[in-house]
Amino acid sequence: MDLLSGTLQGYLLVAFLLFLIGLATVLLRRTLLLQFMGIELMLNAANVALLAFARWRGSDLQGTVFYLFIIAVAACEAAVGLALVIGLHRHRATTDADKASSLKQ
Amino acid sequence: MNSALPTSAQWAALMPILFPALAAAVIPLALLDRDAGVQKWIRAGVYAVALFALGASFMFLAELGKQSSQPSYQQLRLDYLAQFTGIFIVVAAALAVLQSWDHFHQEGWVKGETISLLLFSVSGMMVFASTTNLLVLFLGLELFSIPLYALTATLRSRSSSSEGGLKYFITGAVAAACFLMGIVILYGLTGTLDISVMRLQAGTPLADPLFIVGIGLLLVGFLFKVSAVPFHQWTPDVYVASPHPIAGFMSVATKGVAIVALIRAFPGLTAWGPVLGPKVQGVFMLVAVLTLVVANLTALVQTSAKRMLAYSSISHAGYLVLGLVAGTPGALTGMLFYLAIYLAMNMGAFGLFTAFGLVGEKDTYEDLRGLGWKHPLMGLCAALILFSLAGVPPLGGFYGKYMIFKELVATGHVNLAILGVLASLVSMGYYLRFIVALFLQAPTQAQEREATEAPVIQASLARGTVLVGAILVVAGGFMQTVLVDGFAHRAIQGLLGLR
Repeated sequence: MDLLSGTLQGYLLVAFLLFLIGLATVLLRRTLLLQFMGIELMLNAANVALLAFARWRGSDLQGTVFYLFIIAVAACEAAVGLALVIGLHRHRATTDADKASSLKQ
Repeated sequence: MNSALPTSAQWAALMPILFPALAAAVIPLALLDRDAGVQKWIRAGVYAVALFALGASFMFLAELGKQSSQPSYQQLRLDYLAQFTGIFIVVAAALAVLQSWDHFHQEGWVKGETISLLLFSVSGMMVFASTTNLLVLFLGLELFSIPLYALTATLRSRSSSSEGGLKYFITGAVAAACFLMGIVILYGLTGTLDISVMRLQAGTPLADPLFIVGIGLLLVGFLFKVSAVPFHQWTPDVYVASPHPIAGFMSVATKGVAIVALIRAFPGLTAWGPVLGPKVQGVFMLVAVLTLVVANLTALVQTSAKRMLAYSSISHAGYLVLGLVAGTPGALTGMLFYLAIYLAMNMGAFGLFTAFGLVGEKDTYEDLRGLGWKHPLMGLCAALILFSLAGVPPLGGFYGKYMIFKELVATGHVNLAILGVLASLVSMGYYLRFIVALFLQAPTQAQEREATEAPVIQASLARGTVLVGAILVVAGGFMQTVLVDGFAHRAIQGLLGLR
């Protein structure tokens, strides 16, 4: 359990860094699959912060249960998101976000 | 924790949420591959089940509205505001279902679960609008967003459709992740997930910079759903990519529930204390000004009428956020009235495309030429709906704006009220362009030829919904006291505990 005995600040720092890396990935990378991974990273950053807070508050059950819900929601998002990526790939034979810009005015 | 089963009164209150979800779960079972003859009947059955579920949901909501008690179950509150929003969502969904019957007849049937996804998002929206618990709020948000991502990409044979769906998915998922991070920060600092309890914990955590970051991230999620500038980029692409009825449903219901959830989270200015309250109000002010200016000016230069309607829906988000700036009970009541009229106006306006039988990429002003004379009744409805969108008295849209501007002036934001009036004057420009195309421009020869050769379009249900929209718009203008006192006022009073 020594590994888990870090301070709250440490966990939060990791969580915020993960969140920013995820956001940067979505904004800067032009590959749809990598952008997708960035989104997952953002959700999991929230998970890390949530569990750190829950533990800091004396293993609060609300936080721990919330974490399970987030995992389930992330799985649903992945299912729909990947289906959409495949749908686009069938039409354009690409997963490059820049090549999917026919809708601009 | 009390984990008791709901009592019968609570069951009755939960039914409006459960019915659409149950129907949505049953419908995909009927969609197995069959031969064409059987499929026609299956389709009719699916639509009947969907309308039945929405109707049952509506009946339960109407029954709830007659009672004086406001039931709640665990984290869900089925108070007057939730009932108002429930009826709002159910009516929007029913109109969208009716329009989609005609739209898919014109566009060609997609094998699929469109109606099921629509009903799932109806349930999600009701959950989203009837809770102050942030966990349930997040689940509601995802339950209505994820089906909408898929709904945008319904027309799988068109590549722009899946592109729009993917754009909506990526932007929406980022907004949801920001929303979630905001929730986590607020929870960590206050130790509670209930935003109405959080508010009452006056003192140190409310002034903490990290707390302000949390509120900011939460607002990103809300404002994205409201599609206010600067979180509006997805709106035009997504509306153009999705089928007309779905675009109408998204523009009405998503914005409506997000506004209601905002009202629940930020009811008035005093609710968040002297430090945070003015900051939140400042954000709303900035967002409203940006939205009104950017959306109205961009809408002027569009060539596609559907894209113009998308920008017009962004500009209406601006007027609604202005109501939050004023923040008085009168302004919040005005916002709910505005939403009710907005439902009629936008479902009608997007329904026009189906009513005129415009399919595929035919959504520019050019395609609308002369259609007002060809379908006189629809032309009249279109004129009423568009004038109401622009805020011409004595139609419903005018009174919605009037109620919000009046409260703005009363709270000393005269500049914002003037900006709002100027914005509606500018909006007159692009709505008139729609009407001019319908009545004053003769169709080109190619269009005339196409019209005579084309088979008779099936659009009776869609025309009915447009007619309903136009009647509601006129009724909203002449009987606004009934609507306001009967529903909107009571909902806000119940929320703020004024009685």
